[in-house]
Amino acid sequence: MNALSEWDSKQRLGSKLPRPVEILATSLQQAQAFAATIDGPIVAKASGVAHKTEGGLVRLGLARSDIGQAWNELAAAGDGTVLLAEQLHAELELIVGGYRDPGFGPLVTIGIGGIAAEIFRDVVAILAPPEDGEVAAAVKQLAGHRLLAGIRGGPPVDLVALEHIAKVVAELLCTDSAVAEIDCNPVMVCNGVPIVADALVVLD
Amino acid sequence: MSLDYLFAPRSIAVYGASAGASRKLGNTLLANAANGAPQVVAVHPTADSIDGIPAVARLDRPVDLALISVPGQRVEVAVADAAAAGVKVGIVLSSGFGETGAAGRIVQDRIAKLAAAAGMRLVGPNCMGVVSHVGNGRWLNGSYFWAIPTTTGGLSFVSQSGAFGGMFFSHLRSSGLGLSRFLSVGNSADVSATDVLEWLGDDAQTTAIGMFIEGFDDGRRFVEVARRVTAKKPVVVLKAGKMAAGAKAAASHTGSIAGSYTAVQAGLRRAGIIEAAGTETFFDAMDAAAAGLTRTAVRRIAIITISGGPSVLAADAAERAGLSLPALSEHTLAQLRSLVPAFAALGNPIDLTPQCPVDHFIAAIEAVYADESVEAVVAINCGLDFPQFGTGVARAVAATGKPTTAFVLDAPGVEAEMAAAGVLRFASPERAIAALNVRAGK
Repeated sequence: MNALSEWDSKQRLGSKLPRPVEILATSLQQAQAFAATIDGPIVAKASGVAHKTEGGLVRLGLARSDIGQAWNELAAAGDGTVLLAEQLHAELELIVGGYRDPGFGPLVTIGIGGIAAEIFRDVVAILAPPEDGEVAAAVKQLAGHRLLAGIRGGPPVDLVALEHIAKVVAELLCTDSAVAEIDCNPVMVCNGVPIVADALVVLD
Repeated sequence: MSLDYLFAPRSIAVYGASAGASRKLGNTLLANAANGAPQVVAVHPTADSIDGIPAVARLDRPVDLALISVPGQRVEVAVADAAAAGVKVGIVLSSGFGETGAAGRIVQDRIAKLAAAAGMRLVGPNCMGVVSHVGNGRWLNGSYFWAIPTTTGGLSFVSQSGAFGGMFFSHLRSSGLGLSRFLSVGNSADVSATDVLEWLGDDAQTTAIGMFIEGFDDGRRFVEVARRVTAKKPVVVLKAGKMAAGAKAAASHTGSIAGSYTAVQAGLRRAGIIEAAGTETFFDAMDAAAAGLTRTAVRRIAIITISGGPSVLAADAAERAGLSLPALSEHTLAQLRSLVPAFAALGNPIDLTPQCPVDHFIAAIEAVYADESVEAVVAINCGLDFPQFGTGVARAVAATGKPTTAFVLDAPGVEAEMAAAGVLRFASPERAIAALNVRAGK
């Protein structure tokens, strides 16, 4: 088993994957140039390191002036590059995944994310690729399905956009036999629109 | 080859009955098979006849179905004998094969190959056999079960567990529902639960199918077969071994959180199968499917009772299930007021009260059924054995065809009326409600 880096995972999932505005910077100058184009806080992540969050290698809420220090620390901790992205403000976090079952073949999973994800394990699976309507029907099976209907008067999750992400995951799984597992986590829902903030592709 | 020979054989051979004083499972099998089947022959190395059935040392005719119940180490010889005689389908009931480990698995594969080479389909090994209504109230009992219920009907059942097959028959005896086909597939060396499902889907006699499944080796094929079958008739599945897969759930990403039971649920959902969480809900859902209650979705139900408390439990369960309890029309209420005591609560639940004149029950119940806002009815009666209450439900069901379930306790007269009308009774008010709300994809 061989886990691709976040950047390589996202490349593997292809250009149809909805992502934040982000860049894999190979130099401090490139990082600063990118930061200059972003209004609002920036996220910086070390690249090529497993368990970035646990290792303290994800920096949130950076201003442009913080980029220099973040670069120095994160480039050294990882593979010498740093992933920078606009920081999203999500009303809900989801997880979209993919794996292979010995009996049922490739499957896409959709689950409620966030810090309690591992406690609730609120996940539903769909045979890949999903057929029309299956994603909408499947999310109704989630214990937390009402979270997707809109929180405190907010917009509901765009199920067409969510289905699109599920189909991107399914397509990679169904067309690339080297891919064992896919984990888009978190998928951040911002004003109803799901965006893949982090992704992991594991090869056999 | 079609499984017709399995479920409606014209001739049967039985391997494994003892000719001596000792009674073996093979003798039960022989007696069961001989009771009703047209042509039965026993295969035995020395005897000329066993328990009055003619016996031969080697099978000398191409019978439709061979039932093999010899000790494990002699199964291979028996299968070879049957295959050589041109048997269409063999059932190996004997144990000691794939379920015991790798060595048993090797023998099992060899037996399967032997059968396949001769064009003989093989059921088992390690199974309880077949029971089938072969028409006109005649039964094939090619199983170890010595007392099978003989009410004929549209329900068929496939089990990967022999013991659960016993639970199925026990349930059938108490529910009184009619049987079409039963097969215990055992280790499925050849014929799989999926193969049987496919055949049952095309079986005109089968109107509803129950399945007890431990594992899906052929998940995708099962889904494709099952979705074609569920387009024609309801299929209810009880999956055992949900949690073993859940043990895989330790790791932190989604794929592992899911585990393989989640995959099973995905498959069952796509196939349009009704999945039950456990034994009780499975039998309830299977009964509901067999009684045709899963055919159309209902939302608006009436709860008719003369027992207050239990009907409130039913109302709670209905609301939890997303069903509604509509108010009756003014017209219906006017009719009811003329029939029941003034203090009767005519909201929904509709409590006719024990003080309702018994000869008014029928008209009152018919009035509720006739109300246009009522799509289905749950009838509740705890220990107030006015048979007219049951007669009212029976007549209204016959007149309107509205889906109905009941909770009846200690009221045999009421129960008998309902049973005769095919109204299913459940073990609690909540389960009577749930049975009206059995659907695929939940």
